[in-house]
Amino acid sequence: MSERTIFLADLKRAVGDARGGDLWARLEDWAGHGEAGTRFRAAFPDLAALGGLDRRSILKLLGASLAAGTLAACDSPAAPLLSRSRGAADPPAGLPRFFATSLARDGLGIGLLARNNDGWATKIEGNPDHPASLGASDAVAQAEIFGLYDPDRSRTPLMEGQAVAWPDVDIMLAEMREELGARGGEGLRILTPPVSSPLLLAAFAELERLYPGMRRHVLHAHGRGTPEGSFRAFGRALSPVHNLGAARTVLSVWGDPLAEGPAHLRERHDFMEARRRGIEAGDPPRLYALEATPSLTGTRADRRIVCRPAEIEPFLRIVAGALNVPGLAAAGESSDDAAMIAGALAEAGPDGLVMVGPNASAGLHALGHAINETLGARAVRHIDPPAPDAGTLAELMDEMEAGTVRQLLVLGANPAYDAPGFETLLETVPSVVHLGTHVDETASRVAWHVPERHGLEAWGDMRAFDGTASIAQPVMRPLAEARTATGLLAPLMGVEAEERDFVRAYWRREWGLADAAFEERWRAALDRGTIEDSAFAPVGASLAEDWDAGPAETSAGGLAIVFTAGLQGSTANNPWLQEAPHPLTRTVWGNQALIAEQTAERLGLGDGDIVALDNGGRSLEAPVKILRGQAPDTLALARGYGRRAAGRFGDHVGFDANRLRRGDEGWTAGIALEPTGRNVRLVATQPHTDMADRDIVRSVTPDDLAAGPSSVTGPSLYPEREDAAHAWGMAIDLDACIGCNACLVACQAENNVPAVGPVEVARGREMHWLRIDLYHEDDATHFQPVPCMHCETAPCEPVCPVHATVHSSEGLNDMVYARCIGTRACANNCPYKVRRFNWHAYSTGDFATPREALNPHVAVRSRGVMEKCTFCVQRIAAARIRAGIEERGIEDGEIVTACQQACASRAITFGDLNDPDSAVSRAKASPRDYALLGELNTRPRATYLARVARADGGPGEEPEGR
Amino acid sequence: MTMGTHRAEEPAGPVADLALRPSFGWPWLVGFAASLILVFVLVYALGAILVTGLGSWGTNSPFVWGFDLVNYTWWIGIANAASLFAAVLVMRRHGLRTAVNRFAEAVALFAVICAGLFPVFHLGRPTLFYWVFPYPSTFDVWPQFRSPLIWDLWAIVTHVFVTSLLWYIGLIPDLATLRDRAKGLFAKRIFGLFALGWRGEAAHWEMHQTAYRLVAALLLPLLILMQSIVALEFAVMLVPDWHQVRLPLNFVVTGLASGIAMVMVVAALLRGTLGLRAYITDENADLLARLVIAAGIASGLVYLNELMTALLAEPYTRSAMAGRIGGEYAGLFWGAVALTVALPQLLWLGVLRRSMFALVAVGIGVSVGVWLDRFSIVIGGLYVDYLPAMWRLYQPTFSEWAMLAGTVGLFVMGLLLFVRFLPVVSLFETRHAEREEPAL
Repeated sequence: MSERTIFLADLKRAVGDARGGDLWARLEDWAGHGEAGTRFRAAFPDLAALGGLDRRSILKLLGASLAAGTLAACDSPAAPLLSRSRGAADPPAGLPRFFATSLARDGLGIGLLARNNDGWATKIEGNPDHPASLGASDAVAQAEIFGLYDPDRSRTPLMEGQAVAWPDVDIMLAEMREELGARGGEGLRILTPPVSSPLLLAAFAELERLYPGMRRHVLHAHGRGTPEGSFRAFGRALSPVHNLGAARTVLSVWGDPLAEGPAHLRERHDFMEARRRGIEAGDPPRLYALEATPSLTGTRADRRIVCRPAEIEPFLRIVAGALNVPGLAAAGESSDDAAMIAGALAEAGPDGLVMVGPNASAGLHALGHAINETLGARAVRHIDPPAPDAGTLAELMDEMEAGTVRQLLVLGANPAYDAPGFETLLETVPSVVHLGTHVDETASRVAWHVPERHGLEAWGDMRAFDGTASIAQPVMRPLAEARTATGLLAPLMGVEAEERDFVRAYWRREWGLADAAFEERWRAALDRGTIEDSAFAPVGASLAEDWDAGPAETSAGGLAIVFTAGLQGSTANNPWLQEAPHPLTRTVWGNQALIAEQTAERLGLGDGDIVALDNGGRSLEAPVKILRGQAPDTLALARGYGRRAAGRFGDHVGFDANRLRRGDEGWTAGIALEPTGRNVRLVATQPHTDMADRDIVRSVTPDDLAAGPSSVTGPSLYPEREDAAHAWGMAIDLDACIGCNACLVACQAENNVPAVGPVEVARGREMHWLRIDLYHEDDATHFQPVPCMHCETAPCEPVCPVHATVHSSEGLNDMVYARCIGTRACANNCPYKVRRFNWHAYSTGDFATPREALNPHVAVRSRGVMEKCTFCVQRIAAARIRAGIEERGIEDGEIVTACQQACASRAITFGDLNDPDSAVSRAKASPRDYALLGELNTRPRATYLARVARADGGPGEEPEGR
Repeated sequence: MTMGTHRAEEPAGPVADLALRPSFGWPWLVGFAASLILVFVLVYALGAILVTGLGSWGTNSPFVWGFDLVNYTWWIGIANAASLFAAVLVMRRHGLRTAVNRFAEAVALFAVICAGLFPVFHLGRPTLFYWVFPYPSTFDVWPQFRSPLIWDLWAIVTHVFVTSLLWYIGLIPDLATLRDRAKGLFAKRIFGLFALGWRGEAAHWEMHQTAYRLVAALLLPLLILMQSIVALEFAVMLVPDWHQVRLPLNFVVTGLASGIAMVMVVAALLRGTLGLRAYITDENADLLARLVIAAGIASGLVYLNELMTALLAEPYTRSAMAGRIGGEYAGLFWGAVALTVALPQLLWLGVLRRSMFALVAVGIGVSVGVWLDRFSIVIGGLYVDYLPAMWRLYQPTFSEWAMLAGTVGLFVMGLLLFVRFLPVVSLFETRHAEREEPAL
């Protein structure tokens, strides 16, 4: 018999039939022996351990019981979230769950993990198991959290602009089905963005079977150079997959492979890994760029060739000619630069690689393929396009003009904005149904608008750049009723099911598995975020003999314009992205006509001068901004701005560059430019980009690396700190940073950093805890992420009169918001200027993060207090608690700061400096390590790894113009 | 404005009459109304800060301090210098003290009140200003005594206290005179209460003189300390242009210039408008003008020192100084030099020293110059610091101008009430001086 039973039996016997007041006595008396206390302790050790309960504890317990009691009243939600979280399926209350899912970029999936706190999605991370992410993410993916809670998201179906009930949508679809059935689908057209979803592609195929007259068209965000180029080169549609880790010499043509596109995270990761290995070995891979307007890849390149857009193809032809590419129709006069590039590629041979960007023409793509084939480039393989091509937009528009389109379904695209001329053609179609997350330019011009599910709320599937399939699952319960494209099409096919069931049914058929085996594989796919072994196998492709259609006819006269991607789709209504400074112009909340310095000088233009641009009758007015590295006589205009129906944040921000376009061309020439004499003040976060000959971004040559670490620690009047078990520190590798803003937006999402809007940014009050500084030095462009340095001798601390900023035992410079009275002395004394002040109540302002998206583990700051980077102290605390529960130490790499986690370049390392073997200690042991403003003896815990210049010149050496 | 005739047998007459006259004429009323409007503007500006926060200011990162500190340092400079001036006169028993002491003290007092508004209202959370005091609280947090803001707190509290004391002690015998001359019972009671039972006994006079001189002696080091501590709020900071040993000297000297100039303005106005020529004599005005010239020359030396030390300084400081005197805010620096150093040199001309208009114009010019100097230090000093990426601009907004105008209104209103209700020139000193005259 256990102690407990004996004790209780004694007690029961002693109590007997006693009633009321008789029972008012000590337990010892009732149990009949003096050692009742001992017995009690043995029987109920946990209760006894509470010991003498004092008044406070009793009140606490009373309060807690009351609170716990009310919890029972919380109802469980009606519709269960059927998504599957990673790791523990049902973690203890308060701990976040992570759901693996994918979001489409140009139709192709990027695998992500969404953090769900108490039922709300609050943060996006990369999925380490997904080939397009490897754990990293970018600014656009990070900002999807805001997009999910976007207050302007469409919530009800609209008919002729009037809200209607969902059953009306189904009635409309049923009627459409009848009508289509009668006609065999004649006149039915579907317009989509590129689609890689196997399920949706199967649905299209099914529709085509049911309605043979139906046709799908694809609205490409970037024109059709990629599919047509591969058609020219190989006679079939193929998608190139690049492995930058395997290339020794890379030439990027008219693109930004390190910063844009569905594969850029992977490509950057591979490139930076190769570069890191190369630096150690003393021979980093070479990167060249050939472009008209600077891309982040170009500014990171060892050598950037600046060409007018019309000169790029001739240049690449010369290179191809020098490499003896077979079938080349015309080469051209050689030049030094072209010879140098050709020489480098020839030297690299199979280790060479040419990458052509999505905005480039089919001719350039074909040239790129031909050079790669000639080199036998090992770093590229070709696969069947994961997002297969369909009818073109131009064909659709021709048909609309001819009046043969009877029904048009626009699924998740916004052609009224993206496709010039489409808006007026909409009137020729009797019945248009638009499915979209916003009541955008298209939705407001058509008869029917149906709200589309946000990617983070939807069941679906998609393929990554290499064909790897993944299941997309909701990461939280949907905020409002909405449909996916599959859900909208299902009634037309006469099927009815939950959207999840469509996905399951498709993959069950695809895998051909029975129930148990299917469930297992399904769960594994949801857990991992990818479907194993689903990547496409390389396809053997050989260069067609007639790949070269000859030099493109160019009308190179006058000014040229190149169109860049800018903000795509609903991201225009995302304050996090609008407020993330353009990496090179540092402007926010708007776009400009980027212009080379000498061209601006010739035309007598300066920053902010408004010019009228005219392209054969198509005209618009735009402010100019002088940009280093821009090709002469060439303007660069970012698309995605000047929206008329993006929502409250995106409307009328900047100008709509599409108004100068005829179709989906990537550039155009013969532009007339007329200064208007008016001027606007551009909103930029950084007016000065000159380093003023200061040691801010350090570049070292390989020879310097032999010298060993250079950081010095000066003497201090204050006693040396004795750190506790840990000493947190950070190392930021400037050689790997390309300035893509992923860390900046990741920090914003993780730390509840509010956007403040254009007016406040113009006053110099942006709140980003981590900013990215841009510097120009000679011809090089440097990016420097600047978080709080967490100085060991922090100047901010002694000047605060109320101890609102103090040092933690682990070396963090902590900010105590509740204690802050807002003297701002700390900000004055911070030489790095990383402190941010709440001049207004930004956390509840017009541009604030929606409450549901806030990270519950980070305090929201009120008006009048100072804030700054905390080294993600909440993540440190979480790791410490986890380690404490598991009775172990905190492992190296267990704490990952938000900026570090987002970075595809792996430029940021964080960890414990007390552990000499930690990754951050090893990074700081590098001879490249240096402290920013180290001479001030602030002893920053965040230090930088210097950029590595080429031995034969500065990094990114680049002649100004040509 | 018409004044009563000056009766030799009752020397304190006109001065005391000023405070006791039932009506003061329309110019006073107009001035009072104008200043009252400005005070309403101030109340509005302060209210707006409490309701909507500091966002209406032009401050940003890196210019986290703007007009708030510019105006604070300017007012405190005026207050300090005026007190210093009064205290020196008391200590030296200078003849000028009879004439200008009282309103020098008044200028100091009202200026320090204006100054004191800024440190409280420039806080992000002004309602929590009392957290800087070491009071027992459940937080168990003591103020950070290493912070120059705490030094400044104690300095300004001490300053308000000692300045008020000096002013009040000087006022006691005169309050008794007013008590005796007052007609209404209420006025008698009020003046009597503050006269502390003064009966003019020899023992009273002896104690009074001791106390007066003691407090004055206390003021001397304190005022230099006060200006230095205000300067230390900047000098302690790592900002290259601020982080310099010369800064306290700069603040003391230029503060003195603006304080003396302000005393000169008030003296000239009192002479010109209240007909107190017999009490604030030509010699007095002349001496004040000469002091302003001297302060201007001293300021000039300070600026020269500033430029020379910058030449010898390490690169950060040198480029910061170059940015301050050649960058966006260069006009402020050179404006300060022109107004505080060059303008007073006009007073070498005797004609101007005797013209009320000239004295007022030069005095205000010097004060504006010192304000520009404070602007140049607070804003221009941050124009170039360490990381070029954060080099930006600051532009004051309406809200900040309103606060400046409002404090000017408060200052003027204080002075107007002072001339209306209290003896502007020390009665007892005047009597004393007039009795001395035959002996000279």
